[in-house]
Amino acid sequence: MNEDFWLIIPVAIVWALLGLAYALAPWGDMIGYAWVWGFGSVLFLGLSALLVHRTVRDKR
Amino acid sequence: MTSTSSRIEPFSILPPADRLLIKSMIAVALAALVLGVLAGLATALVRGGLLSVPLSSGYRFLTVHGVSTFFYWLFAAQAALLLSFAATEHGGGLTWPRLARLGFVLMLSGLVLSIVGSLSGTPLLYNGSPELAADNPGQLLPFNLGYVTMALGLMAIPASAIATLLRPRWQGREERLSARGFALFTWAGFLIVSGFAALYTFLPGVFWSLGIGPFPASHTTRWHIVFHNMHYLPLMATVILWYVLMQALTGVKSVFGERFSKIVFSMYLVFVPPTSLYHMFLEPDLPKFVQVGGSVLSLFVSVPTLTAFLIVVASLEVHARAQGGSAQGWSLFGWIRLLPWRHPSMAAMGVAVLSMALGMVFAFVLIQAQLAPLLSDTFFVPGYFHFFTVGTVSMTLLAALAVVLPALSGRPIWRPSLMRWMPWLAFAGLLVFGAAGIAAGYMGVPRRVMDVSYQQQAPAIWRILMSAVAVGGSVMAAALLAFASGIAAALLPQGRATVPPVSLTVSWGSTVLQPGLKAWVGPIAIAAIVAAMVVFSALAFELMQALPIAATGAAGNH
Repeated sequence: MNEDFWLIIPVAIVWALLGLAYALAPWGDMIGYAWVWGFGSVLFLGLSALLVHRTVRDKR
Repeated sequence: MTSTSSRIEPFSILPPADRLLIKSMIAVALAALVLGVLAGLATALVRGGLLSVPLSSGYRFLTVHGVSTFFYWLFAAQAALLLSFAATEHGGGLTWPRLARLGFVLMLSGLVLSIVGSLSGTPLLYNGSPELAADNPGQLLPFNLGYVTMALGLMAIPASAIATLLRPRWQGREERLSARGFALFTWAGFLIVSGFAALYTFLPGVFWSLGIGPFPASHTTRWHIVFHNMHYLPLMATVILWYVLMQALTGVKSVFGERFSKIVFSMYLVFVPPTSLYHMFLEPDLPKFVQVGGSVLSLFVSVPTLTAFLIVVASLEVHARAQGGSAQGWSLFGWIRLLPWRHPSMAAMGVAVLSMALGMVFAFVLIQAQLAPLLSDTFFVPGYFHFFTVGTVSMTLLAALAVVLPALSGRPIWRPSLMRWMPWLAFAGLLVFGAAGIAAGYMGVPRRVMDVSYQQQAPAIWRILMSAVAVGGSVMAAALLAFASGIAAALLPQGRATVPPVSLTVSWGSTVLQPGLKAWVGPIAIAAIVAAMVVFSALAFELMQALPIAATGAAGNH
C-alpha cells in the first residue's frame, strides 16, 4: 500500500461521513445528497481496493 | 508552415481504433460547442434587443445553449481528453476499448436525444424542469432520456480509463501511479460519480413521462446535486490539464515533486462534496448554523484550485528565471514573456488563468449566505459564471485539444499565428459580457427572462447593460467559433508539408535549477484575488443595502 492508496481512502471516508450526515439531516430533502455521496464513497473504496490489487497478488 | 508539436506522448503509436475513437469524441465535443455557442449568441442578441423573435424562441435558444455547452461540450471534451491521456500514459492504448466505444455511442445518442427534446414542445431550459412539462409528460422523455444515456456514457468511459491506468500495476510493471496518472485516476472517479448523480436526477422524469412513476417532485433538490458535480468537475479537469499542459508546452514538471501534486489532486475530492451545502441557501427553512457552515465550507473549495495554480506558476517561474541571460527573465513579471505565447494553447491557458481569478472573485460574492438570496436569480449569475465556463474551463479544454489533436492526427492547427489571438479576443468579449452582466445583476436585472423591458417600466440602464451583454457575447462567440474551427481543422486529412515545421514550444525540462531562485508571482496573484474578493463583497453589501427591497429566499435554480 503506497501513497496512491492512502490518498484515496480519505476520500471514501469523507464522502461516507458526508452521506451519513445528509441522510440524517432533519431539514430539507437531503436524501439525494446522501445517495450520491454514498455511491461515491463506495466507488472510491472500490478504487482503493483496485490500487492494492497488485500487492495482494505479490503476497501469494 | 509551422508546427504546434509539443512534448506530448506519441499518439501515433496508439492502435488505429483508439485514435479513431478519440478523434470521433473530439469531433462530437467540438460540434456540441459550435451548436451551443451559436444558440448562446442568439440568446444574447434576443436579450439585448438586437434580434427580434418570439419569446419562446429565445427560451429555446437558451435551452439549446445550456444543454449543448454545459453538458455535452464540457463532458464529451473531458471524456475525450481523459481517454487520450490515459491511453498514452503507458503507450499501450486503451484497456476495455469496447466499453469506451459503448460510452461514446451513449454520449452521442444522449446529445441527439437532448437536442430533439430541446427543439420540441415547451423549452425546458437546461435543467429540464418537469413542472414545465406538467401538461405534456411525453415531452420530457427525449430530453431526460438524453441526459440518462449521457450519464451512462459518463460512467462507462472513465471505467475504461481507470482500467487503462491500472493495467501496468496489475501486470507488475509499475509500483505507483505517476502524478499525472493519479490525477487522471481521481478525475475518472469523479466523472463516474457525476454520471451517477445525473442518473439519479433525470431517471425519475423518464419514468414519469412513461407513465410508470410519480411526478418527480424533488427534481429541484436533485438538480442541485448534479449541478454541484457538473460545476466543479470541469474545474478539477482544468487544474489537471494545466498540470499536463505545463509539461507539454515547456517540458517543466512540478518543482514540488510528484507526491505533493497527488495530495493536491486528492484534496479536490475531499473538499468539493462538503461545499455542496451552499446550493441550499435559497431554502427558506435552512437553519442558520447550516448557512454559516456552508459559507465557511465554500471557502475551502478554492483551496485545491489555488494550490494547483501555485504549483504550475511557481514551477514555470523558477524554470523561466533559470534561463537567465535576459533582463526580462529576472524582473518580477518579465519572466512571463518567456513562456511560449506563440502557441495557441499557451494563449488559451493565459486567458484561463485570468478568467479563473475573476470568476473566483465574484463566486466568493455569490456564495455568501446573505447575498445569495438577493443575487441568485439575477443576471449576476450568468455574468460571473461565464468567466468559469468559457474563460476558464472551455479555454483550458480547447488548449488541451490544441495540443492533443495535432499530435493525434499529425496535422497542425490551422494558422497558429492567427489562432493564438483568438483566446484573447474571446477574453475581450468576455470582459464586456461579464462586466455588463455583473453590473446588471447588482441592479436587479433578472436572469432567464428574455424581455426585461416590463412594458417600458424597467430602468433605462437595464436595456443599455443588456445591449452591452449582447455585444460582448457576440465578440466572445465569434472568437470561440474561430478558435474551435482552427483546432478542428486538425481533424481533416493530412496535407503535404512543404516547409520544415517550426516548434512553438520551449524546452526547459532539463534546466538545472540553482538554489535560492524565488517565485513570487503565484503568491502575489492569490493575494490580489483575495483583496478583490473583499472589495467586491463590500461593494455588493453596500449596493444590496441601498436597495429598497427585502428578500427572504426564493426557489431559484442555477
